[in-house]
Amino acid sequence: MNLKRYVTLTRAGIMESLQFRLSAFIMVLGNLLYLIVTFFLWKSIYAAAGTETVSGMTFNDTLIYLVLATALFGFMDMYIVWEIGRSIQSGQIVLELLRPMQYRKYLFWAYSGSFVTQFFFTFLPTFLIVAAVTHGAIRFGVNLLFFVISVVLAVSINYSIDFLVGTICLYTESIWGINIMKQVIVLLLSGATIPLAFFPEPLHSVALCLPFQSIYNAPLTLLLDGEPQMQNVLQILGTQAVWVVVMGLASMAFWKVSIRKITVNGG
Amino acid sequence: MKHTLGFYLRLYGMILAQDLKSKMSYRADFIISTVGMIATNVAGFVSFWILFRNFPSIGGWGYYEILFLYGFSLVSLTPVQCLFDNNWSLRQYVYSGDFIKYCFRPVNLFFYYQSEVFDIKGLGQLAFGIAMIVYAWGKLGLAVTVLAVVKLLVFLLTASLVMIALQNAAAATCFWIQNSFYVLDFVTRFKDYARYPVTIFSPVFRFVFTFLMPIAFIAYYPSLVILRPDEVPLLSWLSPVIGVVFFFLSYRFWMYGAMKYSGTGS
Repeated sequence: MNLKRYVTLTRAGIMESLQFRLSAFIMVLGNLLYLIVTFFLWKSIYAAAGTETVSGMTFNDTLIYLVLATALFGFMDMYIVWEIGRSIQSGQIVLELLRPMQYRKYLFWAYSGSFVTQFFFTFLPTFLIVAAVTHGAIRFGVNLLFFVISVVLAVSINYSIDFLVGTICLYTESIWGINIMKQVIVLLLSGATIPLAFFPEPLHSVALCLPFQSIYNAPLTLLLDGEPQMQNVLQILGTQAVWVVVMGLASMAFWKVSIRKITVNGG
Repeated sequence: MKHTLGFYLRLYGMILAQDLKSKMSYRADFIISTVGMIATNVAGFVSFWILFRNFPSIGGWGYYEILFLYGFSLVSLTPVQCLFDNNWSLRQYVYSGDFIKYCFRPVNLFFYYQSEVFDIKGLGQLAFGIAMIVYAWGKLGLAVTVLAVVKLLVFLLTASLVMIALQNAAAATCFWIQNSFYVLDFVTRFKDYARYPVTIFSPVFRFVFTFLMPIAFIAYYPSLVILRPDEVPLLSWLSPVIGVVFFFLSYRFWMYGAMKYSGTGS
């Protein structure tokens, strides 16, 4: 049974991450702190601007966008680069490759359990708090459905990018440096630090052409759009779908080529 | 046996040399990490720049004033990055039991543990910070006097103690709870918030960020001494004292945890 083994891995992941209840609590606390700082920071920024909307974003939009981007980041970041990198450095990778499941699939499903717990323990509380703070600026309609679909696609893109970057560790023996570079590029160009709407041209157009905006900007744009136009929605989701395929194929191909290069010191 | 400061400085130099040698043997890692650190700072500056392309000021502070604050925070965060980076590994040493090896040396435990790693990447951040301070200083037309430079150095140095103290305390929680990574990560986020004037917050959170989570002492209060010399609040003058006190308390907390550490039995 194909499905059964995935579910088993997910369940094991849930059980494992439930061991660290304190860390979930601290993460919610961290998100809360971020919400407070972002709230006051942007409040005074908007106060200085003197207008209600800047680059098409109101204060509430910006707050929701940034806080949820951070919450999504906490939810999606799986430390895959670290996992692959450590596995390569320690030689553990050899055992992983012998498993009766593709490494790429195995790693994803082994982590999928933490998605479930992260979603309930960190993302959902943050979402509810930000919805309450902004007094109904989040519309509860069909946009929620689009948001969920978009997040699923974003998870896949994010995983492919992580796996691709993790594979680079086969060549470099550097984990920290590779990971921080990935994080910096993804967080900036996906709109997680500053909403993409604020980017000046041509930076804005460039960012829209890259896969990173599909991770945070796409789902959050869909969420904030209270009256979604079908054409617009399809365009955003379509772009994401294209990136799912492209990044998925790229990461698989790169892994296939790289795996031949593996050298393990001793055993 | 009483060790003098000179003894510790010499010892630090020796350990530092060994650490750098071992780092240099992984040349690719060293270069990539340095590029990564530079990329972090460039990205931080780009988002700062984008912000000010859209908005004129933050809480009554202009572009160059915020830039000064930003540079100040980068420089004051350099010591924690360079000298106390081993705090990040503490939880692994404690968990695996390897921490016990530090307990058997005839030197100060805290010193020996922290001296083992020098994170040279932090120097890139230092260069960025200094460039920002100098640039903003010139643009703001602040006078360059010996007194001002001395003040800047003193306040930078003591401000850095606050973040060091926070990190020490966060790392030391691993003596009680297993996974202190999240606590460290939580505290590390503070340094990004230090870039903004504390006046943007409501009175309640101004109190919180001044006394409960002393983020405002990393850059805001100490930099007022240079930025707004005519209206320096009492807290700014007190910030060196607060830095020293915090550092001392965190040191005692760290040592208390280390002293009650009993190993893993293996």
